[in-house]
Amino acid sequence: MTPDALWYEAAFVTGITNALNVTADALADLLPPLDDATAGADAVAVFAEIRAFHGGQVPAPFGALAHDPAYLAEVWKAWRHAFADRRLTRRLKTALAFAVSLTTRSRFGTGFHLAELRRLGVGERGTMEIIGVTQMFSSYTKIADTLQLESDMGAIAPVDPTPAPGH
Amino acid sequence: MPTVRIRAAAEYPDAVRKMFELSSQWFGYDFTEPPAMSRVMAWDPDFGSPHGRAMKRAMGPGEFTRAEEEMVAAVVSGTNACSY
Repeated sequence: MTPDALWYEAAFVTGITNALNVTADALADLLPPLDDATAGADAVAVFAEIRAFHGGQVPAPFGALAHDPAYLAEVWKAWRHAFADRRLTRRLKTALAFAVSLTTRSRFGTGFHLAELRRLGVGERGTMEIIGVTQMFSSYTKIADTLQLESDMGAIAPVDPTPAPGH
Repeated sequence: MPTVRIRAAAEYPDAVRKMFELSSQWFGYDFTEPPAMSRVMAWDPDFGSPHGRAMKRAMGPGEFTRAEEEMVAAVVSGTNACSY
């Protein structure tokens, strides 16, 4: 396990979370999600995988993406890989996704990832921890930006000297 | 360039400088000079102290580890596009 690998995983969760959130929040009323009755066979097969991963649900944005089944399949593969238990646990990745959704004021993402957190066993105390950290660091970041503070804490973390995967 | 002059720790009164010791303990790092954010929060302890305690409560022992919560904090900071 290398320290940088953890951060790559966190960054990929952040990115793909935001990708689904913008689709959900911007297109909810414009591009109605397809379901098993209205989507083609390729998309329905992807829906089955999504249900298996997400406790029987197909989040609405995936239904919207089903208008292009090949695109849906690729986004789903990236999403499943990003959220799978690897070096970071799925539980932590879901907490990160919840925090990203709160920070970006995504109604879909906040509700979906909160439900996922609970489904994965996180209680009220844990939920409040994530809400608290999100709030406090949304405060620190705006104070830092307002005063245009320059980063002065990078040196406290060691640099990871390991090469890229496969080398 | 910061909007304000960030005061050195030595410019703060003794009572406030205790906050900097707490900051070093929190980070587990012996700073030559406390982080700029610590010195900003020390400017007004009536704001900085409860703000810091709220942060420490959120990041204290609970269902998530300190390391996990630090990663949440980093992701929130990145999402807010804050380089500090």
